[in-house]
Amino acid sequence: MSVFTLPQAVKEEVLLKDLSALVEHHRARCAPYDRILAANAYSSASSIAELPWLPVRLFKNLELKSIPDDEVFKVLTSSGTTGEVSRIYLDKAAAATQTRQLGATVQTVLGPKRLPMLLVDTKAMLKDRRSFSARGAGVLGMSTFGRDHVWALDNDGHVDLDAIRGFLEKHGGAPFLIFGFTYMVWLHLYEVARDHGLDLSNGILIHSGGWKKLVDQAVSPEVFRERLAEVGLVNTHNFYGMVEQIGTIFLEGPSGGSLYCPDFADVVVRDPVTWRELPPGETGLLEVVSTLPTSYPGHVLLTEDLGVVHGIDDGDWPGKRFSVHGRLPRAEARGCSDTYQEAA
Amino acid sequence: MIRYRFGATTDLTAPIDDRLAVGDERVVDFLARLARKLLAPAVARRQPELGSLGYFLRPAELNRAVSRMRREDAFVFPRGNVFHVPPANVDTIFVYSWALSALAGNNNVVRISERSAVAADTILAALNEVLADADPVIGRTQRMVTYGRDDAVTAALSQWADLRVIWGGDAAVNAIRKHPLRPSARDLTFPDRTSWAAISAAGWRAADPAARRQAVVGFSNDAYWFDQAACSSPRTVFLVGTDTADVRAEFVELLLEVVDQRGWQVDAAMAVEKRVNAYGLAATGAVTALDFPANSVTAMSLAAVPDAPRRWIGAGAFPFAEVGSLLDLVPAMNRQDQTFSHFGFAPDELRAFALALAGRGVDRIVPFGSALTFGAIWDGYDLPHEFTRLTTVATS
Repeated sequence: MSVFTLPQAVKEEVLLKDLSALVEHHRARCAPYDRILAANAYSSASSIAELPWLPVRLFKNLELKSIPDDEVFKVLTSSGTTGEVSRIYLDKAAAATQTRQLGATVQTVLGPKRLPMLLVDTKAMLKDRRSFSARGAGVLGMSTFGRDHVWALDNDGHVDLDAIRGFLEKHGGAPFLIFGFTYMVWLHLYEVARDHGLDLSNGILIHSGGWKKLVDQAVSPEVFRERLAEVGLVNTHNFYGMVEQIGTIFLEGPSGGSLYCPDFADVVVRDPVTWRELPPGETGLLEVVSTLPTSYPGHVLLTEDLGVVHGIDDGDWPGKRFSVHGRLPRAEARGCSDTYQEAA
Repeated sequence: MIRYRFGATTDLTAPIDDRLAVGDERVVDFLARLARKLLAPAVARRQPELGSLGYFLRPAELNRAVSRMRREDAFVFPRGNVFHVPPANVDTIFVYSWALSALAGNNNVVRISERSAVAADTILAALNEVLADADPVIGRTQRMVTYGRDDAVTAALSQWADLRVIWGGDAAVNAIRKHPLRPSARDLTFPDRTSWAAISAAGWRAADPAARRQAVVGFSNDAYWFDQAACSSPRTVFLVGTDTADVRAEFVELLLEVVDQRGWQVDAAMAVEKRVNAYGLAATGAVTALDFPANSVTAMSLAAVPDAPRRWIGAGAFPFAEVGSLLDLVPAMNRQDQTFSHFGFAPDELRAFALALAGRGVDRIVPFGSALTFGAIWDGYDLPHEFTRLTTVATS
């Protein structure tokens, strides 16, 4: 079973129809969204790139939802660097769909059965209210796809070698799932596995999070894969996703180096000057589209991440394959009203 | 940790024996020599804002400011010790604020931001070059320093000051005001401000193409020089008249041309920032139409005059609204509004507008191209007057 099945031409036809319907769905139910589209004189789209995108940061500034207050089942938040928080509203149906589709996506590489799961994180993190929203939600969300969970770090954030060894003794002989943030996996699992000769060869690693901390240490995605392969961990899958499009993740294929779009999602790379779609090979701003957001208008989002499409229908799975190259710096104004940032 | 950038490196709050007079010759001489340095073609070409500053510091301008301080009914003296907290990124404000205060004969301490930009370094280099040949009293009475988040220094200088000058908006004023002044001292505050522009449709249509282009060149300087984020940078453009769509269209077209010729770039991050803010205005209904002809220019149609935003949208973001006459704008103006730049109006229209506002808002009404030109009267204050104190003598 896979959600990576549709060749690009077929996918675009399906998505254009579904996303256009979603545009109308949200216009009818979310007045601020409708006003934005009206102000942009939007009528219809004849390609995915023509669909009206919202800057993802808008969810930090505005309450955008397409469901009545009494149907709000869950409010997801993401903390930003400046203390602004995105608020994403889900009703029961949207919450169920996102869990189901996230499951279908990861089962493409994990298989249909729940696997024993090693979490490269600390349980204490769940109690830290400040960091819970982003990291905790990610870990909790993913943990439903595993069983017999073991935390690789103790409550103080130190590597719990006994726990890891215990896990491997019990489950290391058959496929098992490893999940963690990319830099945590590098710092706390790779180095420990290397130094203590742990056998991770039956592991399937799913990891996410920015590369900045690793690139600062000269660890590129390629180096990351090569080094993990050296300790036996050959099945590794990075993914890209955001709370503003919860349930949709873009998953690295088995041969590495590219992220793929599930059948219900796609990416568009835009030129940040002309805002037109860029062809494969050219870096621009990433736009992510997904049919999952039905309870809030997050189906077509312009991210502040830079990325590039490497190819179409020419990789492990059909559709576009792409990479994320980091973040657009935040615009800083000159101006009179800025003494306060350092006013003592 | 205090970094001394100009003047004596001694205790900032120690008593100073030197006395400067109002309009002291030694200060006038110093500022005039600074002006010559800043007006040197090589400097003014590279950093035009320094040219404007140099112009402001010419002897003729200084003498005009000094003459504003003198009066018939009282002796005029320096206010005493003045502590200046200028904004971080409008690089030249600290010099205007300081120069007028020095001209009034005050002892000054200017806190220069750690984040100050290139222009500030150029000015400080020029100040120190002039200081080398200047009367030593200048360095003993005039100091500029940089220090980080140090409440103790700010508190000590606040206790030292007879006048504290706080630029940088509401948050800066509120933060600095946590430090008490002596009972006899006072604050001169420059809180958050909003500035506007207005075009008379009749005046625009009557102007020849060269005059229209010149107006747009002036407006673009006003708007783009400090990323449209200076207190005086015009934001919303009011189109005054009827059926003004043609005026707006030509104005935006010319603006795109001029900005392109100047090579002013609006980068991707700023373009996204503008989208976020403009979409936010559309979401609330304040804006009914958005136009993004280029990253450098974002044009928006306001639903109604009172919806004109008072917060920054981004560099090159212009809400437009049509009104029948300037007087229709009066109810929408308030205390936060500072500069009102204009094109195409008769002098009587502008005077009538000012009289109708009656001081409830708008401190400066200036033609396009002059929004950022600093003056001794600023934010409704007569600065030379603020920097001095008066002694009256009745002999019988």
